[in-house]
Amino acid sequence: MRVPIIGVGAVASVGRDADEIFAGLCAGRGGLGPMRGFDSGLYNGKQLFEIDDRPEGADRTLRATGFLLDAVGQAAADAGLGDDLSGVPVLVGTGLRELRSAELWWRDGAPFGVDRLHFGTALRERFGTADTLTVSNACSASLYTLALGADLLAMGEADTVIVAGVDSITESMHGLADRVQPNPPTALRTLDVNRRGTILGDGAAAVVLRGEHVKWPGGRLWGRLRGVGMTCDAKHPTAPDPEQVAEAMRQAHRLAGTRPEDIDMVMLHGTGTPLNDLVEITAYGEVFGEAAGGPVLTGIKPMTGHTSGSAGLMSLVTTLQTMATGKVPPLVNLDEPIEEAAGLRLVRAQEAKHEVALAQVHGFGFGGVNAVAIVEGS
Amino acid sequence: MRMAVTGVGVALPGADSATALAAALATGRHPGGAVEPAAVLGKKGLRYKDRATQLGLCAAQRVLTDSGLLADGALTVDGTRTAVLVSSNLGNVDTVCRVVRTIADEGTYGVSPMDTPNASSNIIASEIAIRWGLKGPNLMLCNGPASGLDAIRWGAALLRSGRADHVVVVGVEPDNEIARGLVGGPLVDGAAAVVLEHTEAAEARGATVRALIGAHTRGLDVAGTIGELAEVESEPAAWYAPAAATPSLAAGLPVHDLAAVWGELSGALGVVQCAAAVGALDAGADGPMWLVAGTDSDDGVATLVLRPPVPAGVQPAAV
Repeated sequence: MRVPIIGVGAVASVGRDADEIFAGLCAGRGGLGPMRGFDSGLYNGKQLFEIDDRPEGADRTLRATGFLLDAVGQAAADAGLGDDLSGVPVLVGTGLRELRSAELWWRDGAPFGVDRLHFGTALRERFGTADTLTVSNACSASLYTLALGADLLAMGEADTVIVAGVDSITESMHGLADRVQPNPPTALRTLDVNRRGTILGDGAAAVVLRGEHVKWPGGRLWGRLRGVGMTCDAKHPTAPDPEQVAEAMRQAHRLAGTRPEDIDMVMLHGTGTPLNDLVEITAYGEVFGEAAGGPVLTGIKPMTGHTSGSAGLMSLVTTLQTMATGKVPPLVNLDEPIEEAAGLRLVRAQEAKHEVALAQVHGFGFGGVNAVAIVEGS
Repeated sequence: MRMAVTGVGVALPGADSATALAAALATGRHPGGAVEPAAVLGKKGLRYKDRATQLGLCAAQRVLTDSGLLADGALTVDGTRTAVLVSSNLGNVDTVCRVVRTIADEGTYGVSPMDTPNASSNIIASEIAIRWGLKGPNLMLCNGPASGLDAIRWGAALLRSGRADHVVVVGVEPDNEIARGLVGGPLVDGAAAVVLEHTEAAEARGATVRALIGAHTRGLDVAGTIGELAEVESEPAAWYAPAAATPSLAAGLPVHDLAAVWGELSGALGVVQCAAAVGALDAGADGPMWLVAGTDSDDGVATLVLRPPVPAGVQPAAV
């Protein structure tokens, strides 16, 4: 499989579009800030990676929807598709849908209806498409929809597909994590011995995929999707398990027809929770074996926060930009790597220069849903 | 390669099988009763699971048994080749809303960490995977009124793309004060499920083909989507569709409106339609059945055709 990726878009705490986000990441500039949308008096953890779009202060409904429309619009424009996407399926991966709006509706009486809990209504209004899908697959959701989008093209059901991911932080998710973190993390520290957990972030990302055999007039070719593996741990609702995480990596390579030693860069899921990082690096070591010291390893969550359902595609968009520029954003906040990561080529402190032709992107989520994508540069 | 429905699981108020579902639908009246998960699954392990997850597990247990994928408590097929797709819009909305209210009233000390898994909408799909070791692709669809038929479509896509050999599709909606507030009335408080497989896979393990999966469409309105369907499918023998879609359907045929019996079905609708249609086919009804979820006032309309299985002894023409 070599599915052309012909457009990208993103919005996050660190930037309003894909270029601004990438520039921020390469500069080591994170988006962590004082909590804006929630009452900080209620929480131990008073910092989040929020998108600063509420100058008036008070929270409001449908922010996730706005981020999604923004990212999809950017990607469509980048691919030269314009604003009329009738006939173009749009597949959205999300962890939290518009559950933040449901919270504001129930708690504060904000106007909100069930027709906007999923994103089809807004996507149709804005872009005219009725073939939309909201997949609520926790933190690997947008890599899951990436797989579905590629499958749809392979089956010949569409010529062009837009795949997206989005989340705005819900107070319930932050609150439930905060409940068990009397000493919450003040920074997200992927793979660091002193990592103390993850910190949530707002974000959306989108890519435009084109059928392999579809002629198109040109425009930018960001790269090609080679394969996406997807598995389920079937072990525990919240704790990850290395067996099926490793299997997702192997499956991705089988589908892509590639080998671990071909990989130049791994974009980690890297949530900064004690267990995720350990499971991820253990599974990586198991799958890569003697090739584990080959690729450079990095991740974006220390700077974007854990953007949940959009995280996988946010990582993919960053990867495509790395391929285009040869610049690899660093894992900031990584002072002392865990023992299991010894000998690996972790990109630390500042951006690295590295030619990346083939990369592996990780996304794992609650419910043991694992997805791994392999992408090659143009 | 053709795809088939090889099992049906029903956990609806007053209906615990495809046959009972089709019979209750024929009466046009709510059969009464409620689904009691402890009676289906046993009490063990249910305590912290939300209502939607419990209902989904009930339908999943029944469909795994009915299809023969589960026998004597063990899977009869490779769990890594078995996918799970669940459709639900309101599934965990009650947990999320309850937690945010508790935080406002009592701070985070008032919330229970046991709610954490339920704050993630895919809890239903992951609990089904965990209970029976189903390690294939695991998807939670929350896609509005057409979501249930979307789940069937994407389940079939997982078979076609070779990502799975067996697909368990579940549609479930819980009834509670918060969900009612959002949809404006009582919900079904139940679930239904089907198993999808290639006919070759079904044949290889000796499973019964209950219905063949025909074409699907998704579009802006009812008339357009069924018009597209008519280009590739033979005339329907019956409709399964929301009442609001009826004006766009060919007159003179039975129209089965499940919401008239069970209340709002939301994301469960398409899967319950499939279960009911298979129940009718099991009882000897004529096919094909045309299924419609979503109406002209929704964000999209999905359709699906279910055809009767080829009768035993009748060999399809070689292709």
